[in-house]
Amino acid sequence: MESKKTILELNKVSMHFGGLTAVDELSLDVKEGEIVGLIGPNGAGKTTVFNCVTQFYKEYTGDIYFQNHDGDQVDLRDYKVTDIAKLGLIRTFQNVELVKDLSILDNLLIGAHHHYETGIIQHILHTKKARSEEKRMKEKAYEILKFLKIYEIKDFYVAGQPYGILKKIEIARTLMSDPKLIILDEPAAGLNDQETDELETLIHQIRENYHTTILLIEHDMGFVMNICDRVCAINFGKFLAMDIPKNIQKNPSVQEAYLGKDE
Amino acid sequence: MNVKFLTKIEELLGPFSAKLRKHPNLTFVVFGLLLCLVALLPHLGLMNFGTMSIIAYITIYAVTALGLNILLGFSGLISLGTAGFVGAGALGTAVFIEMGLPFELAVVLVLTISGSIGALIGLFSLKVEGIYLAIATLFVGEILRQIYTQVPIFGGNSIQIDGGIKLLGFIELSQIFKEQRSMLFVLLVIIMVLMMIAMNNIIKSKTGRALLAMSRSEHAAQAMGISLLKYRLTAFVLATLFATVGGIMYAMYFQTIPTTSWSLDLSLFIIAMVVVGGFKSIYGTFLGAFIIHGIPNLILKDLLGDISYIFSGVLIILVIIFYPNGFVYIWVDIKKGYSKLKKRLQKDVTTDGK
Repeated sequence: MESKKTILELNKVSMHFGGLTAVDELSLDVKEGEIVGLIGPNGAGKTTVFNCVTQFYKEYTGDIYFQNHDGDQVDLRDYKVTDIAKLGLIRTFQNVELVKDLSILDNLLIGAHHHYETGIIQHILHTKKARSEEKRMKEKAYEILKFLKIYEIKDFYVAGQPYGILKKIEIARTLMSDPKLIILDEPAAGLNDQETDELETLIHQIRENYHTTILLIEHDMGFVMNICDRVCAINFGKFLAMDIPKNIQKNPSVQEAYLGKDE
Repeated sequence: MNVKFLTKIEELLGPFSAKLRKHPNLTFVVFGLLLCLVALLPHLGLMNFGTMSIIAYITIYAVTALGLNILLGFSGLISLGTAGFVGAGALGTAVFIEMGLPFELAVVLVLTISGSIGALIGLFSLKVEGIYLAIATLFVGEILRQIYTQVPIFGGNSIQIDGGIKLLGFIELSQIFKEQRSMLFVLLVIIMVLMMIAMNNIIKSKTGRALLAMSRSEHAAQAMGISLLKYRLTAFVLATLFATVGGIMYAMYFQTIPTTSWSLDLSLFIIAMVVVGGFKSIYGTFLGAFIIHGIPNLILKDLLGDISYIFSGVLIILVIIFYPNGFVYIWVDIKKGYSKLKKRLQKDVTTDGK
């Protein structure tokens, strides 16, 4: 692990909302090819961390570095929220955020938005270049849909699909953008046991097939402990520990955060 | 009627409909060709010219409402200033032609001017949302209306294009002559079909998807790299351009353009066309224009005289109650009804055989 490059690095990141400190001088790093879990009790600031990394919040202090497609370290603060996807950093949302009145295929194509080179004039005129580009994107989407075993329902609307499928579509959409790092916000929330097991294998397959790194928030501890290479625990925005799952479970400060202190 | 008859029709139409399904833009062309036949009818004595004018109005409103559908249906944005931009298209074209500019140049100028105003509203829409945006655009429309009625350049009550529209510098088409009026009608249908195709190409492209993504979840859209600034601007510029084209069509066909009719009522009627016809549907938009403008003027007026507008009001309310997503969804019901009918007929055949 030590030899691998750091893909994401947080250096003393803090985020305040008025008087509330949601994230407090948090430092952590994610190495290339790792699956890292970010855990903490409710309100620990996990999603805030994600929002800082993806630049939805710009007012944080400290630095967040990311290794881009060329292998250079860049300061994410220099990028607009809409440019983050282009760097190879893509996220999902706690409450699945898909376009319900579009087909599953079209939802995937939204994920490839920043890959399109043709502009609106070419689309209106339906030029050859625009058509071939659209076709190329669709073929890419078909491959991903087949990989996730939802190819057969590609033309159905998203509305009315079961929750497990929605979660899959959201993951499929992240894959459309050729991500280097996927940030998953509670991927197993709302899934039943069988679906959770399926998701476990799926996340491993994604790492193997698409050579990505994965950072995830999850409350299902069994899931986190099974899947993650390393786990980072935080509480009240503060760093508690970062280690392999086995050690995190034994860590007294983590136990205290979850279960309270023995008197 | 029996099953054999129905299946025979299906067989006859089969290859045709398969081809249309493969090239959706072709359906607009077929639709346009059918509509062009209307231009012939008055000459054969089958229709009066007034009726043709009402259908011309419907094509104009359909184009305008398509633009508004980009805002309402796709982008989740609203504009109450649509009429102002239709007026800009109509009056602007007339003023520029009266200044001695060629028709084509006048069109380009008018589109550029109102497109820029649309872009400004788009910028503004980043700051205000929902009902506030509605009020802001209401006053944009009101300002434009005041300009048309107060500024002397627009010539008081109405402005007339003398001598008709000169296309490419040599094809002169005047509203006065009946044959030329039919030519103008065909021209309007062609423009409408082109705008429908453009719309279809936009909504099936990355732009249409981005607009929908933006309206459903701004956060998710941004995380996918969709810039709110860019697509708010795109939505408003497109909507104003469509409305302006509607206005240009008005100037082309009627050639006498009133300055007072570009008020809020018209904007509201156009919103009603989108709502009644069908959000996000191109044919639905045309259907909406037909229901709101066509039915009261074409059918009910002859039957009921002046109280026809009461009935059209009731009709619209009924449509909204039964087809809240737009009257275009009646198509789904027709299809269902058809397959039910076919099944029943088939059953009859099998029971008869026994």
